[in-house]
Amino acid sequence: MSKAQIHVTVNGTVYEAAVEPRLTLADFLRGDLNLTGTHVGCEHGVCGACTVLVDGRAVRSCLMLAVQADGREIATVESLAASDGRLHPIQEAFAEEHGLQCGFCTPGFLLAVHELLDHNPDPTEELIRDVLGGQLCRCTGYQSILRAVHLAAAKVRAVRTADAHA
Amino acid sequence: MAIEIPNRLEDLPVEELRWVGRHVRRREDPSLLTGRTEFIDDVVLPGMLHCAILRSPFPHARITGIDATQAEAAPGVTAVVTGADAQLWCNPARTAPEGWGTLCLATDKVRYVGEPVAAVAASSRYLAEDALELIEVDYEPLDPVVDPFAAMDPESPLVIEDKGTNVMLQRVFTWGEVDRALAEAAQVFTESFRWNRLGANPTETFGAVCAWDPLTLDLTVHGSIQSPSSFGLGRAADLGIPSNKVNVKSHPHGGSFGGKGGARGATIACLLSRKADGKPVKWIEDRTEYLTAGGSQAWDRHYEASLAVDEDARVTALAVTLVDDLGATGEGFGAISAAKPLAAFTGPYTIPVARYDLTLVATNKVPASPYRGMGPPPHFFVLEQMMDIAARGLAIDPAEFRRRNFIPPDQFPYTIPSGNEYDSGSYEEVLDSALDLAGYEELRKLQAEARTEGRIVGVGVASAIEPGVFDWNAYAIVGMPQTGVPEGATVSVDITGMITVRVGFALEGQGQYTLVSQLVADYFAVEMDAVRVVQLDTQSAPPSFGPGGSRLGVAISGAVLGACRRLAEKLAAVAAGLLRAEPDEIELRDGRFRVKGRPGSEMGVAQLAGTMLARSDLLPPDIDPRPEATHVWTAPGRTAADEEGRAKSYLTAAQAVHVVMVEIDPDTGFVEIVKYALADDCGTRLNPVVVEGQTEGSVAQGIGAALFEEYVYDDRAQPLTTTFMDYLTPTVNDVPALDKAVVVTPSPFTPLGAKGCGEGAIHTTPAAVMCAVNDALAPLGVMAREVPASPHRVWELLRRSEGPS
Amino acid sequence: MKPAPLDYAAPTSLTEAVTLLSDGDRDCIVIAGGQSLMPMLNMRLARPDLLVDLSRIADLDYIRDDGATLAIGAMTTKRAVEHSAVVAERQPLLHAATCLVGHPQIRNRGTVGGSLAHADPAAEYPAVAVATDSEMRVLGPAGERRIGAADFFVGYLTTALAPGEVIVEVIVPVLGAGTGWGLAEFSRRHGDFAIAGAAVTVELDSDRCCSQVRIVLFGVAATPVRLAQVEDLLRGEAPEGDFYRRAGEAVSEALDQPLSDVQASADYRRHLAGVLSRRGLAEAVGRAAERAGRSRP
Repeated sequence: MSKAQIHVTVNGTVYEAAVEPRLTLADFLRGDLNLTGTHVGCEHGVCGACTVLVDGRAVRSCLMLAVQADGREIATVESLAASDGRLHPIQEAFAEEHGLQCGFCTPGFLLAVHELLDHNPDPTEELIRDVLGGQLCRCTGYQSILRAVHLAAAKVRAVRTADAHA
Repeated sequence: MAIEIPNRLEDLPVEELRWVGRHVRRREDPSLLTGRTEFIDDVVLPGMLHCAILRSPFPHARITGIDATQAEAAPGVTAVVTGADAQLWCNPARTAPEGWGTLCLATDKVRYVGEPVAAVAASSRYLAEDALELIEVDYEPLDPVVDPFAAMDPESPLVIEDKGTNVMLQRVFTWGEVDRALAEAAQVFTESFRWNRLGANPTETFGAVCAWDPLTLDLTVHGSIQSPSSFGLGRAADLGIPSNKVNVKSHPHGGSFGGKGGARGATIACLLSRKADGKPVKWIEDRTEYLTAGGSQAWDRHYEASLAVDEDARVTALAVTLVDDLGATGEGFGAISAAKPLAAFTGPYTIPVARYDLTLVATNKVPASPYRGMGPPPHFFVLEQMMDIAARGLAIDPAEFRRRNFIPPDQFPYTIPSGNEYDSGSYEEVLDSALDLAGYEELRKLQAEARTEGRIVGVGVASAIEPGVFDWNAYAIVGMPQTGVPEGATVSVDITGMITVRVGFALEGQGQYTLVSQLVADYFAVEMDAVRVVQLDTQSAPPSFGPGGSRLGVAISGAVLGACRRLAEKLAAVAAGLLRAEPDEIELRDGRFRVKGRPGSEMGVAQLAGTMLARSDLLPPDIDPRPEATHVWTAPGRTAADEEGRAKSYLTAAQAVHVVMVEIDPDTGFVEIVKYALADDCGTRLNPVVVEGQTEGSVAQGIGAALFEEYVYDDRAQPLTTTFMDYLTPTVNDVPALDKAVVVTPSPFTPLGAKGCGEGAIHTTPAAVMCAVNDALAPLGVMAREVPASPHRVWELLRRSEGPS
Repeated sequence: MKPAPLDYAAPTSLTEAVTLLSDGDRDCIVIAGGQSLMPMLNMRLARPDLLVDLSRIADLDYIRDDGATLAIGAMTTKRAVEHSAVVAERQPLLHAATCLVGHPQIRNRGTVGGSLAHADPAAEYPAVAVATDSEMRVLGPAGERRIGAADFFVGYLTTALAPGEVIVEVIVPVLGAGTGWGLAEFSRRHGDFAIAGAAVTVELDSDRCCSQVRIVLFGVAATPVRLAQVEDLLRGEAPEGDFYRRAGEAVSEALDQPLSDVQASADYRRHLAGVLSRRGLAEAVGRAAERAGRSRP
């Protein structure tokens, strides 16, 4: 059970680390990199709280080993807000629509929605539900999250339009 | 010392409210949205070790030997504890009913699958789990006690031998002349029901970091703890140390819903810490631990109910028999969920007399715990099915039948047979709002059309009470002796006029820090950003219980407004001295302390606080020179319970009516909710968006209860639902869009007229969904008596029905 | 809930992978997307000595149109299959089944080869493989061979893969021009493993009678179940009148000892198998008629 050397980029920073092969990516991010915004809710891939982006794709960080992240680019919730503290449009939308209560599942939701809107800023309701169906929230009853995702999509579209005009 | 707390919004000392009662964005959110909030698993303390717990694979077995020597020598391991350590340093857990507790680690025998047997503290959770595999335990399996009725048989094996019985409590409470009412009724309807175990399952499980110094016996516990003060008292009792040795710091938690549990695990972590020379030991319960043996399994109930009705279709009596399977011990305080229905036994109706035949039974299942609503949700499921059964029997529309039996507005405050007093309500208005919103007449037309097409469609109308602001007296019948639940806050102003509020509870999702900021900002007419809310640990915080029993919004409002009032009096006295006036000539208005009738003679909060902090020499004598004040609020007028359990217990009674339409797939038994409308009245809404969030979330949990969620044990008491692939909480695709209407009848008894609303719709939703299911099934001659109405169960009913399957 | 100690290797060639897996002294398990294996590792239900990760091997991630068949690399993600226009057009049953697997966050990592090798009885892919007569191209110490889907799934989470063998590619016949397909499954929640499901293909002759019927059930037994006797019964029949009801009843009757678990009893599964076969058949017949109509001038 010798340690493996990995080289990962997390939120734009390159990390070299020696990890036990059995270490999950979630535990690596939280324990080794102190990026505790990624939360662990079930460790068997159902709740989605630990969802992060790996090479731009939303995946469960509890269902991936840290060694498997060697050479990959990872984004966690800590990457979303601007360095000046300005919230990302998706975060803004969740705040405006009260799309979170306890906030524990929220980082996973944000990243799953991030991937969705990255590829399709005007998603159908069906597509939104397909994505959100993979994230459990016990507080909100999802109605406010649905509203938040629609609002987030509008915000992302507005940003893109503004960027296109700039 | 009583102090006047404003009961109406217009009593606040400002011309126009800027924050209270408005849709205010939560202050908690930026930190949560960016992953900065420190949840318990994010806590790292110097030298911290990680705990893993070895759990029993047997529901009932004697332990004939434990050998932990290999584990003690395993890599990274600092300490191992077993039942022997618990015997040395622990007391049996306190319980309700009293005397049904065991030690935190099994000694002579195990009593449920998942019961802790040993635990390891190691340098990582991985190594701790490795070491668990090296602990050898010899078990001698015993016959498990599975069914509560069989458990009552004198021949049954005993869960706790010393007790000599598995019956934890058996009593009949009679409130009024029930037998006579039943005998004289025009009709009596009787039916039996089954509510299966379910539970909270917050997205974050329980966690704690415990450090117990072996020399001083000082104990510090960090944790995702709903009530830090109660938790501290519990650990002191468990560990046999004075309560002032214990300091509890709660962390924001990822949901709770009453089902955070964790007491036993935390005590085990304490023992490990003591054995590891006081090093902090972190225990994070994982999801399979939570599902197998965590603190969320609630309401494992067998009901029989009778409803008596007179010639005018008025309900004249309600009799309920409940056999509640509480599992192996009373440590989860699940028993209080059997007592709480007393706070609203007869629901929103003028039922004059009632009887509660209550039996609490021990079995070899996980000890029962509280869950959102704490017991009334199953009770209202039963009551509302009975209301429908009666309406059907009398051929009266179910909405009309309820209207006829509602407590009318002019009868409040209204005392129900089981002793509690409802503060206020406008039940018909709520009913009409819900029916209008749902388009009730139209739904009935659609249903009639669907039926002609052979479709199985039903409409449910249900109403329930949400008791708000709990008091311990509500649970007197199961042995909770106290009365009074405090909540305190300290409001202080610094030299620049910035305000800090110190409280004793952690966030868990209901936006209470935002509420605190709203209240203070309006009281002193400052920006919300000028108010900071700080959470203290139990050794420094004002007396605090924290969230629970739909209380904190009301209770913290009382605490904060009381503290503001006290602070204002202090500042007024200072202003009087400085402005050369009498204190009673000073009034606070819009953040200014003015001398009445002397325009221009006034001072602001910052100016007064600055003077107090910098120039105590200028202050009048006898003035405490600190610009701060503390108030501890408790619900006024609570009474000790009488012999029959009657007390003024919960302070407020919110009410709701839900209208639900379902369609059942005749092929699969799957219940689809096609329409959901509700109206509710929880008094003044201090932050409407937060109230709405509580409603939406509790509807979802109610749907989970009605259709999805269930802890299943096999006939040998083995749990079958130990992952999120088996225990099904609703996803976005299982919760319908909600139409919501609001009625506001302020409470005459509470700060600003608000009522408890956090537990919310879970009181009404399961009842309403099941009413709809049974309305759909009625023409087929079958009834869903069991919750959840899973497809499998509904299909079995369809199969037995007279109609097509 | 943390994995037991294990060693990890990420070979860069198939030969290297097979060599590693052929080490008879160690218990070796292949990890592909890990969406089923990782929970088992976390719960210590699987505890290999060595985990062999195929994700670093080049050229196992592709979807190739070979005319009569599609060749899909074992490490192709479900996401890639879901978004493949070729799959949607040429083998729509596979496309539809993919959309029912979990959620995008699972499909982003879960692979075609992984699902087939894991052989979960409630999963869609094994049933679709059987329904489409797919073949697994596998490589092992003894070289390469092909295993037809009908012979591949041998038991609960058990396949015909020999020690050291890995799936390299799946060869999926494209849907015939006149073939209609149907896929019906029942689960408590969208995205959950199916309690029961049916993958169906139908061909209609010029008289609009069924010239070919295939019904493959999943979620009801340890492996996908193909009911040849029901297919025989329906072949030659015109799909009208009580055809669907009889078909469903025949399926329920033909099922031998369905699974029983916490979500569904054997009886309920038997019943659902009939219902879902009926629904799948109706879909398939509708599509077959539509396709036939389209191909006729």
